Amino acid sequence: MQGIILFLLLASTYLMIIAKRVPALIRGFRYQSFFLFLATFIAAFKENQVELYVVSVMIILVKVILIPYFLDLTVKKINVDENLGLFVNSQLSLALAPVFTYYSWVLSVNLGFGQGTLQSAAVAVAFSVISIGAFLMVSRMKAFTQVVGILIMENGIFLFASSVSGGMPFFAEIAIFFDVFISAVIMGIFVFRINKLFTHIDVNKLSRLKG
Amino acid sequence: MIILQIILFILIAPLLSGLITVIKNYLRMRKGQSILQPYYNLVKFFYKDEVISETASWIFRVAPFIVFSSALVASMLVPVFIFNRPILPVGDFIALVFIFTLGRFFLALAALDTGSSFGGMGSSREMFIASFVEPALCMVIFAISLQFGSTDITAFSGLHPITVSSVVAALALFLLVIAETSRIPIDNQETHLELTMVHEAMVLEYSGRSLALIELAAYLKQMIFFFLIAQLIFPIGLPLGNFVQVFLWSLWFIARIAVIAIAVAVVEVNLAKLRLFRVADFLGFAFVLGIIAVVCSILGA
Amino acid sequence: MLNLLIERFFLFDPLALFFLVVIFIISLPSFIYSFSYLKGEYPAFKIFSAQILLFVFVLSMAFVVSVSNCLVFLIFWEIMSLVSYFLVVFDTNNERSIKAGLVYIVMTHIGTAFIIAAFMILYNHAHSFDFIAIKNACSVMPQRTKDIVFLLFLIGFGTKAGIVPLHIWLPYAHPQAPSHISSIMSGVMIKTAIYGIIRFVIFILGINTSWWGILVLILATITSLVGIIYALMERDIKRLLAYSSVENIGIILSGVGLAMYFISLNLSYLAVFSLIAGLYHLINHAIFKGLLFLCAGSVYKATGTRDMEKLGGLIKKMPHTAVYFLLGAMAISALPPLNGFVSEWLTLQAFFLGAFNAIGGSKIFLGICAAMLALTSGLAVACFVKAFGIIFLAKPRSHYAESAKEAALPMRIGMLILAVFTVIFGLAAALVIKSLSGVSSSALGIDISNMSFFLNSLRFAPQIAKNTYLSTPLLALLLVLFSVIGFVIYRVFGNRRAVIYKTWDCGYYKLGPRNEYTATAFSKPFRIAFSFFLLPYRKTQKIRESFYHIKSFTYETHTTKVFKKYIYNPLFAFMLKLAKSMRKMQPGSIHLYLGYIFITLVLLIIFMERF
Repeated sequence: MQGIILFLLLASTYLMIIAKRVPALIRGFRYQSFFLFLATFIAAFKENQVELYVVSVMIILVKVILIPYFLDLTVKKINVDENLGLFVNSQLSLALAPVFTYYSWVLSVNLGFGQGTLQSAAVAVAFSVISIGAFLMVSRMKAFTQVVGILIMENGIFLFASSVSGGMPFFAEIAIFFDVFISAVIMGIFVFRINKLFTHIDVNKLSRLKG
Repeated sequence: MIILQIILFILIAPLLSGLITVIKNYLRMRKGQSILQPYYNLVKFFYKDEVISETASWIFRVAPFIVFSSALVASMLVPVFIFNRPILPVGDFIALVFIFTLGRFFLALAALDTGSSFGGMGSSREMFIASFVEPALCMVIFAISLQFGSTDITAFSGLHPITVSSVVAALALFLLVIAETSRIPIDNQETHLELTMVHEAMVLEYSGRSLALIELAAYLKQMIFFFLIAQLIFPIGLPLGNFVQVFLWSLWFIARIAVIAIAVAVVEVNLAKLRLFRVADFLGFAFVLGIIAVVCSILGA
Repeated sequence: MLNLLIERFFLFDPLALFFLVVIFIISLPSFIYSFSYLKGEYPAFKIFSAQILLFVFVLSMAFVVSVSNCLVFLIFWEIMSLVSYFLVVFDTNNERSIKAGLVYIVMTHIGTAFIIAAFMILYNHAHSFDFIAIKNACSVMPQRTKDIVFLLFLIGFGTKAGIVPLHIWLPYAHPQAPSHISSIMSGVMIKTAIYGIIRFVIFILGINTSWWGILVLILATITSLVGIIYALMERDIKRLLAYSSVENIGIILSGVGLAMYFISLNLSYLAVFSLIAGLYHLINHAIFKGLLFLCAGSVYKATGTRDMEKLGGLIKKMPHTAVYFLLGAMAISALPPLNGFVSEWLTLQAFFLGAFNAIGGSKIFLGICAAMLALTSGLAVACFVKAFGIIFLAKPRSHYAESAKEAALPMRIGMLILAVFTVIFGLAAALVIKSLSGVSSSALGIDISNMSFFLNSLRFAPQIAKNTYLSTPLLALLLVLFSVIGFVIYRVFGNRRAVIYKTWDCGYYKLGPRNEYTATAFSKPFRIAFSFFLLPYRKTQKIRESFYHIKSFTYETHTTKVFKKYIYNPLFAFMLKLAKSMRKMQPGSIHLYLGYIFITLVLLIIFMERF
């Protein structure tokens, strides 16, 4: 059961890779967070910890509902071209994604999580999510992707932490969630401002500012 | 003993200068001054008025005394009658050089003090020559001290074997003494032409008794250096018991210095004054001779 | 608690105490001097901050020479450099001050970087920052490492001391700082670098090979020659003094280098003797250079210019300053019986004595070094005849000099204290040598209980050399005695009239200030003699009314700044080129930067796995 959820998580991440437009990206993020919620919920059910329930509720609230809604709002407000500028076209990105996954699988084996256990699979998925988030940040032009990329990486870190050590201390989780939400808000504001100033959010054009 | 030495020095120094002038005149086939002319000059200076420039300050007035005193102190360092220990433990060869530098320093300052261009020119040239005399002199002292065991002048007073090293060092010292005592080919004492005078330019503004003191100091310096060369080449030690022996020793002392004086006179007559910028080459040659002296003393000759 | 702190971090052995004495002897007169020097030039708040900075500066130097822990040493070294930077750029309206400060701070940090590198290597071997622990660990360090550490220390401390070719900051920084600060910087701060060399190389590293001492000797000789030749060419008083400091650092380092050389040959008496000579010259130079800078400051404050060519005749307007400057000039020219003479004499003696015990080739080498030392001494005499003569003697050359007034009382007191020290350190030479022998022996770790350093019977071990003598009080006494005799002769004999009239000048009688010799003219023979090194060039311009009548003739001569032109400028140009080419790596694109970060992470993870 958990294996399937992990697989779906990875799939939603791949969805984000091939996304060519901004709403598609946000949608993929929503799916990913939903699957993360599912995974956390099942783990909470298994271990029967109240804290994990609370955390999963928070995931749903913040990452599945609030943040994507807020990002959509920003997109509508800015009224920009929905095309996500791609440095690396989507077919090549999709071909690179399994490379990342393989790399993270090798890493998780070398870190000593064993082969074939659920934990090693979870760690592998976590690492691949992180690296795909990083890749997204590097290879997409619009400022939005930087924001979403951070959020994806945070998802991956959360997954990693919970699969390795059974979650982080409760209050740390609360604090992290709050941080993530606030940073999403702030980044939204920034993107808005960038657009207002430059009338576009193409980060690539910032390179004209070099000295 | 000490006082005897000083009096002897003061009395004989002008005679030496007169001797050189007489020999030069003889070689030039002229009937010139008598050998006592420097004495007459000094007496004359004492009886003349002195004119002091209004631009000058206390340095101009004080300089003659310092120059004179430095020459006298230097003569205390040179052992004539006592040669196994110094008369007073005041200093050694290096200190001698620095004492003369003291005199030169003040003379150069006094020359600049009057505000005349000749004075400035004299100081500038004199300092130039002195700077290049120093390393060559240091090399000569080095060679001598390597030979004789210390930089003290008493080390090579008294009897010592004449080696190649000491002869070469004496030759280098001869060249340097020509520079120090302002003789041709470095400087001409008989001229007052702007092109050719160095020491004379510095004392151009002096007159009267101050000039006498400075001239006497110059004679003393000359004699001390001649004595040092003579000591290197003709060393003899005599026991000094009674008065007769002292008298004989003084005669031998005068005779040695006279020989050096004759050599200097011959050189003066036969050479022409060098251009100022060639003086560095001349002194460089003395430096090289000093190095050769060192090498000879290392090789044991 | 304080006791523990002192014990843990400080080491007050004789070497440290000696340097503390040097620091305080120079700082106190400068402090007194600064009261009237700064008054009227800057607003009161700025003066107050200047005094605070001075206090911190002196304190940091005192800590630098007395701590015994590498980290604490570095902290105070940095504080010292930074505070002196602020003091150099004190005159913030002056563009040249700011440029001078920049050159200074860059050079001093380059030196500090080398020192830090050396400390790191030492820590690697000794696993402790404490001096004593490092010293013990150094006895088993491999020779190659010791060589590298020695070179790092030499370059690091050499930048601060002013060894050629790392000296270029000195002629920028010392003229621009306020004069009492220049005197402390030139008198004390560069000496802390010598302290560093003695402490770290001789005391901690320990010397086994002879090429260290030879290298230091060669560098010292070159430094002193280059310093004095440039000093001769200068017409700015303080820059002349700054170059002269470079020269004297060379002389101090000759003493230290000789000591290193003799230790490696196991000639303990000679090693102690040379180090005494070096340390003696150190404190002497601090005193007379401090004095000279204070006098230069008085002249600057009274006339408003530092240019010698505009001054002249100040001896009549500023008699006290003139006397102090004369004393300082006599001391630095090594004239008996002042202190400079004794230390130069000692250094030359060290060379000569060393030559007795050396084998053939090194005898010549030591002899040539000694001769070069004599050359710099001769050139120094010329330089200071020029300085004193042009500034103070003859007629004033411009309106700057005509309106000069004597310095205020605090400035005179400061100068007086240092002048008195000059004379004392010359006359009391025997005492100073005795106390320095204790310092020297502790720095070298040699036992001196059966050696004697009495100046008027320098009795060496019989196989080294015969005795030689020097006695400065006697010398001074004789000089005074004979000048009195001369004066008596002057007064007693002959006609007593002395008339004051115009300068004779072969009968010209129309002398004005323009006829006097200028500083540039004074040093022209030297410019020509050393032209292979100075590379002078001149520009002349003639304006003619007709073919035969030249209306005006302008003559300008400059010397090329060899080190700046051929070493530093190419170096800077190369580094700028390198930096520009690195710009290509920074196109300003966020994605590229992020990509750099992630690739580095990935590579790190991969390589970490390898290990």
